[in-house]
Amino acid sequence: MGDTFTTQSVGETERAGRLLARHLQAGDVIALAGDLGAGKTHLVQGVAGGLGVEGAVTSPTFNILLVHAGSLPLYHLDLYRLDDPAQLEDIDFYATLEGDGVSLIEWGDRFPDELPADHLLVEISRLGETARGFRLTPGGPRSAVLAAAWSRSMREGAAR
Amino acid sequence: MIDIRPMLESDVPGVLAIERASFPDPWTEGLFRDELGREDRIWKVALEDGRLAGYGGVMIVDVEAHLMDVAVAPEARGRGIGRALLWELAADAVAAGALRMTLEVASSNETALRFYRSAGFDVAGRRPAYYPSGDDALLLWSRPLAPHVSAKRVALKRRDLILAIESSCDETAASVMRGGREELSSVVASQVDFHARFGGVVPEIASRKHTEAIVGVVDQALETAGVTFADLDAIAVTAGPGLVGALVVGLAYAKGVACSTGLPLIGVNHLEGHIYAARLLDPDLEPPLVALLVSGGHTMLVSVPEWGRYEVLGGTLDDAAGEAFDKVAKLLGLGYPGGPVISRLAAEGDPKAIPFPRPMLRTDDLDVSLSGLKTAVIQYVERERREGRELRLNDIAASFQAAVTEVQVAKTLKAVRAHDAKAVVLAGGVAANPVLRGSLRSALATEGVALSVPPLELCTDNASMIAAAAHDALRAGRFLGLDADANPAMRLGRGA
Repeated sequence: MGDTFTTQSVGETERAGRLLARHLQAGDVIALAGDLGAGKTHLVQGVAGGLGVEGAVTSPTFNILLVHAGSLPLYHLDLYRLDDPAQLEDIDFYATLEGDGVSLIEWGDRFPDELPADHLLVEISRLGETARGFRLTPGGPRSAVLAAAWSRSMREGAAR
Repeated sequence: MIDIRPMLESDVPGVLAIERASFPDPWTEGLFRDELGREDRIWKVALEDGRLAGYGGVMIVDVEAHLMDVAVAPEARGRGIGRALLWELAADAVAAGALRMTLEVASSNETALRFYRSAGFDVAGRRPAYYPSGDDALLLWSRPLAPHVSAKRVALKRRDLILAIESSCDETAASVMRGGREELSSVVASQVDFHARFGGVVPEIASRKHTEAIVGVVDQALETAGVTFADLDAIAVTAGPGLVGALVVGLAYAKGVACSTGLPLIGVNHLEGHIYAARLLDPDLEPPLVALLVSGGHTMLVSVPEWGRYEVLGGTLDDAAGEAFDKVAKLLGLGYPGGPVISRLAAEGDPKAIPFPRPMLRTDDLDVSLSGLKTAVIQYVERERREGRELRLNDIAASFQAAVTEVQVAKTLKAVRAHDAKAVVLAGGVAANPVLRGSLRSALATEGVALSVPPLELCTDNASMIAAAAHDALRAGRFLGLDADANPAMRLGRGA
């Protein structure tokens, strides 16, 4: 179940992010799952580029939440260092997700029960040195639309 | 050389030229000549190397000084002339009995607004459609003038007493410093123990712990220094960058003290503080400098052409150096924080054992990327495990550390050459890494450039470095108003 696609390089992963950005709207929540080095931050950098964010989009591991101003506010979260859902309240997690922007959550599979039901889970796996596999699992109607639109863009991009 | 003196009739033609170059609806010659004859006015001109570079005037109305005009010739801007004029006018206004200064600024004039805010003015009101252009006027008020004027004066003699507060991350710190270089006390309450089990700082916990600690930390700093609030000339505080919930604790406390005592408030950029830490170690350290700031949250190269001026030359495009150490340590099952344990293992390993990549080593810019290196370490570890080989932790640590170090050293050298720096400041928590220090020192030695590395207690967060930076801000007349906000994303060289 769910759409899948692959990228062959860091550049392609960033391009996948830029294509995703085209379809995003305020309130979208995307949970990114994948080991260290899978390319989660690269994907978010691509989304940021697509949203017209200026300046570097660096890893939010240290700050847990970094906010970037683009055509939509981009909330870049990283749950890597959290080990208890109670800590989500501490970082204003719920209000952020309900906010006026799009939320991309690295290590977003850490507390699945705490995410809104209608979020898009993106699982990234390392297929080789630079090749990455993406599996999209929507949790509701909005994320299903988003997943379909994104994977269609990826197919069209590949065909061109 | 800037000289400020009262305006004379003979200055009016030069003043008019600057006025016309500065404002859409300039004052006329008649207006200036009329002003000069009045008793309740103070008009001054600034001369730069003998040439008229700027001017300004106030009207004294009872205990209020109304700032009527400040302008600097276009070719003389950006060198602190406007700020010098402002505080000279303030000093004369205080002598004439004024308690505060007020002025109007067009709401669209962001440059002027930024300038007055950086002199400690707050926006107190708005006059809709006040200007012929239809622009609103913003009504600005200074804080009590006399304490600002006298603090700036004693700072120029290097006798100022500053209490500085730092709470940008996980240390609550306070320090009392005289003259920007003589530390009378430095207190640091660390929260590391509370955060260790999370593998790093958790923002809300940090905020709570700062709130619990700050009063005691400040009291201890004052007591150790043997001073009270009444002895101080100014309060300084880290205004950014950092965790917003942590910054606001220090800022709110500092504002409270400033409000109740009338003391000037000075905002310091945390990263600027790290650069000033080097001057505490080496009081004779002088720009032009290049600073390499490496910590858990930052990795950047900064040019410092003179104290108080910064240009960010480059930085990490993804992971900070400290973060890369932490993540590799976690991958190897070594615990948190990663820096010390990796450098300990590395001391027993062979830095050439594994040829990890040196991302961006040969690019022309001064940026670095560490996520690719992290991924390479992961792939190496997985391959070794898959093939049933035991991990040689010492060699992995040494080879990883060598890759990080080689890129940082190469980029720093490039920055030094491009900016003709006389010294390099290595600052931030990762500056504690002995191999980075050693490699950088020997590479710079071949260029005849000195390396300044503050001792460990100054490399990690502390308030003495904030006080050191605040001293220079005070001398220049840079202050914060009471409605200033914490800026978690504050950049060096802007809004500091």
